[in-house]
Parts: sequence; structure tokens; C-alpha cells
Amino acid sequence: MDDNRIGVLLVDDEQLVRTGLRAILESEPDLAVVGEAADGAEVPGLVARHRPDVVLMDVRMPSVDGIRATEHLLSTADRPPKIVVVTTFENDDYVYDALRAGASGFLLKRARPEEILSAVRTVVAGDSLLFPAAIRRLAARNARGAGRDGLRGANLTERESEVLRLMASGLSNVEIAERLFLGLQTVKTHVGNVLAKLGARDRTQAVIEAYESGFVSPSDGVRRS
Amino acid sequence: MDLPLRREARSLSFCEDRLVIRRILGPVTSRSTYRRWVFLVLGGALSAPYVLFGAVVVPSVLPLSTDDLASAFLLGGAGALVVLAATSLLPPVRALELAAIRELLDDPVPEAASGPVSGRARVRAGAMFVAHVLVGALISLASLMLPAFLGLAFAAPFTGSFGAGTDGPLLVPRGWASAWLPAAFLLAMLLLFHAVAGAGALLTRAAVAWLGPSAAERVALLERRTERLAERNRLARELHDSVGHALSVVSLQAGAARRTLRRDPDTAERALEAIEESARAALDDLDHVLGLLREERAGRAPQAGLAELPALLSATRAAGVEVDSEVRAEAAAVAPVVSREAYRILQECLTNVLRHAGKVPVTLRVAEADGGLELTVRNPVGAARDSARNGGGSGLRGIAERVDVLGGRLRAGRQGRDWEVAVWLPAGGRGGE
Repeated sequence: MDDNRIGVLLVDDEQLVRTGLRAILESEPDLAVVGEAADGAEVPGLVARHRPDVVLMDVRMPSVDGIRATEHLLSTADRPPKIVVVTTFENDDYVYDALRAGASGFLLKRARPEEILSAVRTVVAGDSLLFPAAIRRLAARNARGAGRDGLRGANLTERESEVLRLMASGLSNVEIAERLFLGLQTVKTHVGNVLAKLGARDRTQAVIEAYESGFVSPSDGVRRS
Repeated sequence: MDLPLRREARSLSFCEDRLVIRRILGPVTSRSTYRRWVFLVLGGALSAPYVLFGAVVVPSVLPLSTDDLASAFLLGGAGALVVLAATSLLPPVRALELAAIRELLDDPVPEAASGPVSGRARVRAGAMFVAHVLVGALISLASLMLPAFLGLAFAAPFTGSFGAGTDGPLLVPRGWASAWLPAAFLLAMLLLFHAVAGAGALLTRAAVAWLGPSAAERVALLERRTERLAERNRLARELHDSVGHALSVVSLQAGAARRTLRRDPDTAERALEAIEESARAALDDLDHVLGLLREERAGRAPQAGLAELPALLSATRAAGVEVDSEVRAEAAAVAPVVSREAYRILQECLTNVLRHAGKVPVTLRVAEADGGLELTVRNPVGAARDSARNGGGSGLRGIAERVDVLGGRLRAGRQGRDWEVAVWLPAGGRGGE
């Protein structure tokens, strides 16, 4: 995208889902749908050509599903777009797999248009978690017992640990700064350090990692959803 | 110093004492003993006609001398046993036993079916009846005699005689020297309680073994249950996939319509059209699934197999679909399970044609091939709905599952301008039935 609008690529095998999403996204002046694909196999080419900021990706598709397309995109594209998985049902086992594969969040197809719009803007901004409560529920369902070291290997400082906890509870960078009486830039630095130490691509991956390692538990509660 | 410890030890041994006492007196205080007793006495009462037959009818018919008591006893007993065994096979016996066991032995065989049963089940129920009558007779006899003896034993230290036996009362010393008599009979009475509890437990186990479903029946029961569960899951998935999906599209398109209504009426109109279509398709799917559910509830009758194929074809033709059918296979040549599944697969194929392509001409082939059964259903791709849905969908998945279970092969897809589903099933099914 050469203008200032957020470019979105729609990937869904059902045309009616694509037209619906397109109509909603294009009703906003700051968003533009740059392309559509009916299968994960078409994604790399379209991403290379249109360089979207966000890909709204269906999970189940006939030949290449959303999880494989996500993995492929994140491992091959340079400066890959943010990926939001679009799903019919929240308790779809594949949704969590997609998040583990590197998707920044997920979106229900039945979400209100306003939620869909804010979800796209949220993942592009990257300074807060998309639907933290839903991610917590998914983490609770998929919690694994083995190999939980509580992120001891990551050597987080006390401040960084605190920041990660607040990230997991759904606070944005600004809210974290207010909560901890820190400057916004300092919080951003801490978040950057946390991501680097965990080897996480973005906020969502770091939080998923925090849940999986037992560093935060799904029962800790979320202050904002 | 060690006082608390010792107190603990004492209370522990007190506990053990209580445990022993409960062991000894348990059957006396337990309600189930008395219910078992009623069950056993019932057996004793049922034994009365057989005892009468052995004691009165057999000796009066057979030329036996009154001196030869042993052989009279033997012959009478044998005669009574033969009649008992014969009558145990009467059909009402099983129902009677089941009713008595349900009421008095706490229903150890809840899954036992009442109603008509196989010959083998009747024999097993007969064995239960015989055991009930014989054990019941013994316990009943003891239950009649012991209380009388107990009364006499308590009187003996005072009267000096134990009034039993045919040769007049037995003389015993008066006073404490005969105190062991009531004690011994009290002990015997206690043993009787234990015998009742034990015999009841024994007959309960016998009931489980003889009146409960046999291993084969149990397997069949389990299979039926599994089948029902699989069917339910299939329906749930179908609802999930079709209706849930369509409603998602409806809500999404409705949101789009709302946001574009003023600025872009054309887009809004298209969205409304999509909503209309999706809702209609969802209702069709709902109809289909609810139809299956109703069918399942009504469908206690044996499932249709290939032999019922002509009826299915004429029903499909009646629905307005032109079917060109060619059946070159004997329904009897394949295992029943394969025949049933083949029927269901063809049924689903025809339903899918109606749902997705509409009333188009269908070609249906059934043939024996490669030591199995080959099913082919072919129809021109309908113009009406195909763009809205992507290919086969849920119906095809159901077929794939059936094929998979039997270890067959499935090929489905476009063949030129036609849609074709081709299935091969091994004649014996996987592992047979």
C-alpha cells in the first residue's frame, strides 16, 4: 500500500464471507481491501504483490488451510503482514494452533462490524492484545502439563515479568505505563525486551508462551476484555 | 509422656473391636439380609409342590416297599428334580425370576430384557430358577426349625428336657450345666443369618451370570450404543457445519448491509440477497438434520439394505428425480453390514443430488467388482446452488466415514460437466460382522 490506509487481504473459501468482510472494511476510509483469495495456496503470491498490512485468514480451506498458510507466510515473507484468523466457532481446535503458528489473534465471523474494524486496527497498532479473554479461555482449554518451567529460562527481569503479566491481562502499552508509573517509551522498551527474550514475533505469541509455560495461569483473571 | 499415644492406641483397638462386632452382627442388622430372606423363603415356597410330588406322588405310583426308605427317598428326590428341571423351562419362569430378583435382590441385572427371549436365555433362566428353589428350600427348612429349637433350648435348663426327636424328649441336667444349649442354638441362629446373607449374595451373582445379557448380547448392546453415539456426533457436526456456518454468514452480511445501507445501497442489496439465500439454505439443512433425527427416533426397525434399493429408487423418482439405475449385484452376496452401508451411501448420494443440484437426471450403478461392491452415482452439476456452496460438504463426509469404517475406497469430484461419487466396498466388510 502506498497510501496511509491499512491494506487488508481476505482469505476465505466462501465468497459470501469475503464479500461481507469487504463491505464492512471498505465502509471505513482508513481501511482498504487489497485482494481476495479462496485458498491458502494463493496467499504468498498475493502478499508479495499487494503487501497488505493484515491478512484475515479462514482456518479451514480446501487445499492449504489457514494454519499452514500462516506458518508458510511467517517463515518466508520478509516483513510479513499481521495475521488474524477468522473462524465460525471460538472453540475450534485449529484456532489455537493458528495462534501458536504465529497469528496475532482471531476473529469470529459473527463479530459485530465495529469489532471487526477495531480488531484490524488493534493488530496493526500491535500495542495491545486482541480479545485477551478469548485467548485466556483458549489457553485454559489447551493448557499443557509437561515442560512448564514458568519462563525461568528466559531470564526476565522483575519489571519485564510485571509487564508481561499486564500484557497477558489485556492491558495496552499506555495502560501499562499508567499502572506502573512509567513513561510510554520505557514500557515499549520493556515489551520489546520481553518479545526478544521469549523469541516471540509479537504480543500474542509472548502471551501464549506465558500461558503455556505456566508463567501466568488462565485462572489469574483478566482485567479488561 | 506416652499418655496421648496410648490413648490413641486404645481408641484404635476400640475401632477394631467395633469392626469385628459389625462383622459378626452385620447380617442381623442389615436390611438387605431380610430382603434376601424373603427371596429365599419364596424359593422354599416354590419348592413345596416338587417336595410334595417327590414325597407323595412318586412313592404312591411306584411299587415301593415301606421298609426301603433309602430308595424311596432317592427315587422321590430324583423325580422331583426332573419335574423341577422340566418346569424351569416354562416361559413365565424367567419373567417371574426377574421380577423377584428386581424387587428383592436390589436389581443386579438392570439391563436384562424382559419379554420374549432366545432358547439359550430360557435355559439359563431355568438354571437360575432351579438354584433359587433348591437353596431356598434348604434355607426355608432351617428358618422353620431353628427358631423352634431355640425356644426349646432356652427352656431346657429349667425343664430338664429338650423336647425334640421322635423317641420322646431328650433328658438333660437342670440348671447351669445345660446353659450351653441355648448358647449353642443362639450361635446357630447367628450362623443362619450369615447363611441367608451368603446364599443371597450367591444367588445375586448367579442372577448376574444367568439372567444378565450374555457376552454376545453385551457386545451387540455396546455396538448399538456406539452406533447411536456416532450417528449423534455426525448429526451434531452436520448442524455445526451447515447451520452454524450459514448463521455466521447471515450475521456477517447483515452487519455489512447495516454499514453500507445509506452510502452504497447496491452493496447493501447484495448483502440482503446473500442473507436471504443463506437463511434459506440453513433451513433446508435444518430440515434435513431434523428429518434424520426423527428417522432415528422412529428407526428401531432393522435398517434397510440393498434389498430395499428398489423402494428407495421409486421414492426418489416420486420426488421428481429421473433415475437411470443399473443394479448388477446380488444383495445376498455381500455381508449384511456392507449391504446396509451401501444402501445408506446411495441414499445420501441421492439426497445430496436433490439438495445441491436439484431435480437433475441421476445415473446410479451398483456392480460386483474386485471381490467387492462398486457404487457409482453421477449427475450433471446443477446451476442453481453450486456457486453458493463449495462442492460436497457434509453429506460427502458422512459417506467418507462409512467407506472408511468398512475399509473401502471413495472417489468424488467433477467428471467433465458431471459430479460423480464412486465408492468401492469390500464384500465382507472389514473383519466381517
